[in-house]
Amino acid sequence: MAVRHLEVGVRREPGGAVLDLRGEINGFAQDALDAAYVEAEKANPEVIVLNFEEVDYINSTGIALIVGLLARARATKRRLVAYGLSDHYVEIFNITRLSDFVSVFPDEESALEPAT
Amino acid sequence: MTAPRSGARRTLAELSVPSEPGNERRAMEEVARTVEGLGLSDRTLEKLKTAVAEATMNAMEHGNHYRAELPVIIEVAASDAELSVRISDEGSGPPAFDSETPDLEAKLEGVQTPRGWGLFLIKSMVDKMNVTGDEHHHTVELILHLDEREGGT
Repeated sequence: MAVRHLEVGVRREPGGAVLDLRGEINGFAQDALDAAYVEAEKANPEVIVLNFEEVDYINSTGIALIVGLLARARATKRRLVAYGLSDHYVEIFNITRLSDFVSVFPDEESALEPAT
Repeated sequence: MTAPRSGARRTLAELSVPSEPGNERRAMEEVARTVEGLGLSDRTLEKLKTAVAEATMNAMEHGNHYRAELPVIIEVAASDAELSVRISDEGSGPPAFDSETPDLEAKLEGVQTPRGWGLFLIKSMVDKMNVTGDEHHHTVELILHLDEREGGT
């Protein structure tokens, strides 16, 4: 089975920057994630949204990469939020406690709504 | 593939994957195909796949040091009561896992490395995990209790 290397598109939306993730979040994903995060930060958004709709695999190394993004977001007072996770990966976000720090939404519209 | 009919443990498949980055996905998909007839819920199957992938990745990385000529051997067996997946590499001594329990706040504060989720994920995904090792092999056995899975857990 060929590895589906991660591709990341970056969009600027009125409510924040969206990282459209496509492929696998594993050890091969670090460079793509880092580059996309740097690009997303250029507009100084309050919120960075991770779109997982086209991600079909996240392993423990991928979890570590997401932890790294979260640490960077917190260091610059940004909110990191997510949508498009499958039920299985929502469960993994829960057991790792990532969901305590990365709010998980069902869709992009709700992810980009201002925090109350 | 059909479920075993008796209480006896039956081997359903013996699989082998070269120790190359990314092959944990091949392992988890092959195990998933092997257990198709057991009637696992989608949730249980996804959890098993994650556990198999993490254990295989650990075997390839720490046991076989990503030497492609060293295979990871996976034996899938089942009885009426449980499903067992044994994942073996050619390392010596006890299997190498990061023994530190991951603490997300500590990781965010830089007190722990961001990595170190593998063992935690495996333990969270299956009912039981056994680890054994000798001078020639490490084996991680993942166990699901099939007779306690009413209600699609």
